[in-house]
Amino acid sequence: MPETLQYFLMTWTQPQLLFLTAIGTFAGIYIGAIPGLSVTMAVSILISFTFSWEMNNALALMAGIYMGGVYGGSRTAILLNIPGAPAAIATALDGYPLAKKGLAGEAIGLSTTVSTIGGFFGILILAIAAPFVSEFAIRFQPRDYLLLAVMGLLLVGSLSGGSMAKGVFAGALGVLLGTVGLDPLTAEERFTFGYTDLMTGISAVAIMIGMFGVSEALDQMHYLNMPGVKQRLERIVPSWKDVKKHLPLGLRCSALGTFIGALPGTGGDIAALMAYDHAKRSTKNPEVPFGEGAKEGIVAPEAANNAAVGGAYIPMLTLGIPGDAVTAVIVGAMFVHGLNPGPLLMIERPEIFWFTVGNLTLATIFMFIFGMTGIKIFTKIVEWPKAVLLPVILLLSIVGCYAINNSVTDVWWMLGFGIVGYFMKTYGYQLGPVILGLILSRLIDDNWRRAIISEQESLVGLFKGILTSPLSLFLFLTIVFLLFSQTKTWTKLKARVFGRKDVNIDPTQV
Amino acid sequence: MDTTPARKPGETGFNILLLLGSIFLFYQAYKIAGFSALSSPGAIPMAASATMVISACIIVAKEFSRPKAEGGAKAFFVQILPFTLAVMCGLIILFAVVLQKVGFILTGLSFLFFSIWFLQKRGPASAALIALLCVVVIYVLFRLIFQVILPEGIIPERDIIASVKHWFAGAK
Repeated sequence: MPETLQYFLMTWTQPQLLFLTAIGTFAGIYIGAIPGLSVTMAVSILISFTFSWEMNNALALMAGIYMGGVYGGSRTAILLNIPGAPAAIATALDGYPLAKKGLAGEAIGLSTTVSTIGGFFGILILAIAAPFVSEFAIRFQPRDYLLLAVMGLLLVGSLSGGSMAKGVFAGALGVLLGTVGLDPLTAEERFTFGYTDLMTGISAVAIMIGMFGVSEALDQMHYLNMPGVKQRLERIVPSWKDVKKHLPLGLRCSALGTFIGALPGTGGDIAALMAYDHAKRSTKNPEVPFGEGAKEGIVAPEAANNAAVGGAYIPMLTLGIPGDAVTAVIVGAMFVHGLNPGPLLMIERPEIFWFTVGNLTLATIFMFIFGMTGIKIFTKIVEWPKAVLLPVILLLSIVGCYAINNSVTDVWWMLGFGIVGYFMKTYGYQLGPVILGLILSRLIDDNWRRAIISEQESLVGLFKGILTSPLSLFLFLTIVFLLFSQTKTWTKLKARVFGRKDVNIDPTQV
Repeated sequence: MDTTPARKPGETGFNILLLLGSIFLFYQAYKIAGFSALSSPGAIPMAASATMVISACIIVAKEFSRPKAEGGAKAFFVQILPFTLAVMCGLIILFAVVLQKVGFILTGLSFLFFSIWFLQKRGPASAALIALLCVVVIYVLFRLIFQVILPEGIIPERDIIASVKHWFAGAK
C-alpha cells in the first residue's frame, strides 16, 4: 500500500512532473477549445517531440492534454456555438442558448464543475476496476482478444452515427496498414513491393500525424473566415444550489460515460451524445426546455465526456486495447517508450498504473483550477486567426514527423495519409477506426494465428471454442448484434417495439 | 445510416478509387501466401483487404442510390479542393521536398511567411513578423530545450550554437 501511494503521488511530489501535468492540462484546454485543433492531433504530434524524453514526463504531459482537451471543447461550444472537439457537440445544444441569454459565465462554471466530478468518477472506477479486469484478462484466450479487437473496431463504426460500411472500411484499412513490413513470426515480406524502406513497416506515428494533424488542418481551410462572436462574462462560480440539484444527473452520466469510455473503441464524443439523450429522457420537467438553454443539457454531456477519460484507460492499461482514438495514440507512445500495455503491465510494472491514476487525478484538479480562471483571456486567444494557426500546425506536423526517425520518407507517408485522410473525412469516412485498426493490427494478427494454431487450423474447432466459453460467446454475440443493428430489419423492429426513431448527430461532420 | 442526402462532387470517383485500391491490395495479400494455411502470414492481410473490398462495394452500391452531385468538375474545385487548399497542398509538398537540403530554419520561415501571407490576404510585413516569431519560438522550444533534431541544411547551426556556447563560456 505505501508503495502504491508513493507511485500515486509521484507526479504530485516531483516538481518537473507536476509542472508538465499543469502545462499539459493548460495546453489541453486551449487545444481542445480551438476548433480544428483536436486532442488526438496534439497527442500524436507530441509523440514525435517527446520520444526522447523520460517516459514518465511524456505520459504526464499527455494525460494532462487528454483531460484538459476533453473539457476544453465545451468552452467554445458555449461561447461561440462551435464545439472545439466532437466530445462537446452535445454541450453546444444548450450551452450556446445559455450564453445568448448572457449566462455564458455560469454555463462555463457549471460545465467545469461537472467535468471535474465526471473526471474524478472515471478515475475512481479506473483505480477500482482495472486491477480486477487485469486479473480476469490473464485468463483471456487468444480468441477473446481477437473478438474484443474486432468488437472495438465495429463499435466505432456503429455508435458514432456515420456509415457502418465506411467505418468497417476504415478499420480494415488500419489493420492492413499495420501488417505492412516483415511478418514478426516468419519474416515473410508483406506489402513491401521490394522496397527496403517498407521492411520495417510504415511509421504508425507518421500515419497518425497525417490523419489527425494534416487532414484536419486541410479541412479547416474551408472555414478561414468564420466570424467571431463576442460574449459577456459575469458570474463564473456556479451556485451550490445548482450543483446540488444537478449532482444526481451528473453522477448518473459519469457512470454512463465511464462505461462507454471503457468499451474498446468508443470515447468521450459518443459518451456525451448518449448522456445528453439520457438527460433528455430522464428529466421530466426541465426549468427551460432542452435546446433552449437547459442546464441539464450541459451537465450530462460534460460529466460523461470527462468520465470517459478514466474509462478509456481501463481497456488500454489492462488489455492493451485502446478505449478511443486518443488512447490509441497513447498506446503508440507507450510502445515508443518500450512499454507493452496489457494484463502483464499491471503485474510487471504496477508503478505505471498507479502513476497514471495519480497523474489523471492531478490533471483533473488542474483542469478545475484553469477552468475557473482566465476565461476572459481565453476568449481572445480562441479568436486567433486560422490563417496563422493552420500553417503553424502544418509546420509542427512536418517537423514532428521528421524528428521521429530523421527520415524524409516518414514525412512523405505523413503527407500522403494527410491528403487521403482529408478526402476520406470530406466524404464521410471516420479516421478514428483507421488508427484503432493500425494499433490493433498486431494484436489481431498474433491472436488469430495463436487461436487457429491451437485448434489445429480448424475453423470448426475455433467455433466450438467460442460457443463453449461464456466470455467468447458473449463477445461473439455482441459482434453479431453490432452487425445486425445496422440492417434495415433492426431499424424496422426497433421502430415497431419502441415506436420512435433515434436522432443522430454525426461527430464526423463537425 | 448515412446522413448525407446527395453525393458530394468527386465522391463517386473517390469511392471507386478506394474499391480499385482494395482489389489491388487483396491481390497483393493473396500473393503473400495464397490460401496455404489459415495461420499463414497472409491470412489477416487477406481478411482485412477482403473486408475492404466488400465494404467498398457496399459503399459504391449505396452511392448510386443517392442523387448525383451537381456541378461536375467545377463544383469539385469549389467545394472539395478550392484554390486555397490546392495552393496549401502545393506549399506543404514543396516544404517537404526542400526540408532536408535547405534546413528547418529557412524552409520553415519561407513556408510560414508564404502561407500566412497567402491565407491572411494582408500585407507581407505582418506575415513576415509572425513567421519569424513562430520559427524562433519553435526553434528555441524544440531544438534548444527539447533537443529535437531538426534538419540543418545550409545553415551551420551546430557550429553557430557551439561558438555561442564557447563565447559565453569565455565570457565567464
